[in-house]
Amino acid sequence: MLRVSFSRVYVFSASHRLHSETLSDGENESVYDKCNNLHGHGHDYKLEVAVSGEPDQQTGMIIPMPELDEKVSKVLDRLDYKHLDKEVDYFKKIPSTGENIILYLWNELVKEIGGSRLHHLKLWETNNNSFEIGKGGL
Amino acid sequence: MQNVTITKKFEFSASHRYWCDDWSSEKNREFFGKGVSPYGHGHNYDLHITVGGRINPDTGMIINLSELKKIVNNILQDFDHKFLNVDTPYFKDKQPSTENIALTLFELIEKDLSAVQADLTLERIRLYERSDVYTDVWKEAE
Repeated sequence: MLRVSFSRVYVFSASHRLHSETLSDGENESVYDKCNNLHGHGHDYKLEVAVSGEPDQQTGMIIPMPELDEKVSKVLDRLDYKHLDKEVDYFKKIPSTGENIILYLWNELVKEIGGSRLHHLKLWETNNNSFEIGKGGL
Repeated sequence: MQNVTITKKFEFSASHRYWCDDWSSEKNREFFGKGVSPYGHGHNYDLHITVGGRINPDTGMIINLSELKKIVNNILQDFDHKFLNVDTPYFKDKQPSTENIALTLFELIEKDLSAVQADLTLERIRLYERSDVYTDVWKEAE
């Protein structure tokens, strides 16, 4: 069976500091190194969102792009131009690593797009670090 | 078992137009926006083709890239510098959306690939309409 997915690339900018409450200051410094900098640092995150399903007979689309944009923006607006650990409740106790951010985004996007359509996410923290989550095939 | 694949990138430029005959002009304009212009608009498409299969012990290759180039370029001749709705037979009864173009290309490439070498698998194709919009097509066991 042929499977099709449609993907869009989004960008959001945020600052954060990697620091775990369950580790000592010394351990935090040795685990997270420069990412543990007291006053934080930031990234232009790039998020690739893939939805899968049958393209609609009339429109030829799995999801209309403006609809996907609106749903994704609703989630990303909560992170864009924010300090993740200080301004986003979810990351007040959980370190805002790429792994935890992509898990958060997956769960929030499932609420907007639906678990049957959301297929795959790829989060670029920098041009060299990326994180993926999804149902396979991509 | 480890699965090795090879991916080659191709490019083609084409125009297309969105229009649904069952809808009023207003509804078409509202849904497809600028995409309804009767003269079409264009993109530089990037096509990534991923092929899997046995590595030939003599050549060290899954497929000779010049062979893949021949197959794909032959198919893309019908797409490159064309108005997809008008100049190709594939989008008379369906929209030339990224999804439908990718599905059409997958079927065409898979057919020609298996004719050349039966044990080759077209693992996946990724079609970029723009750098921030793309579609993937792959096969999944039913």
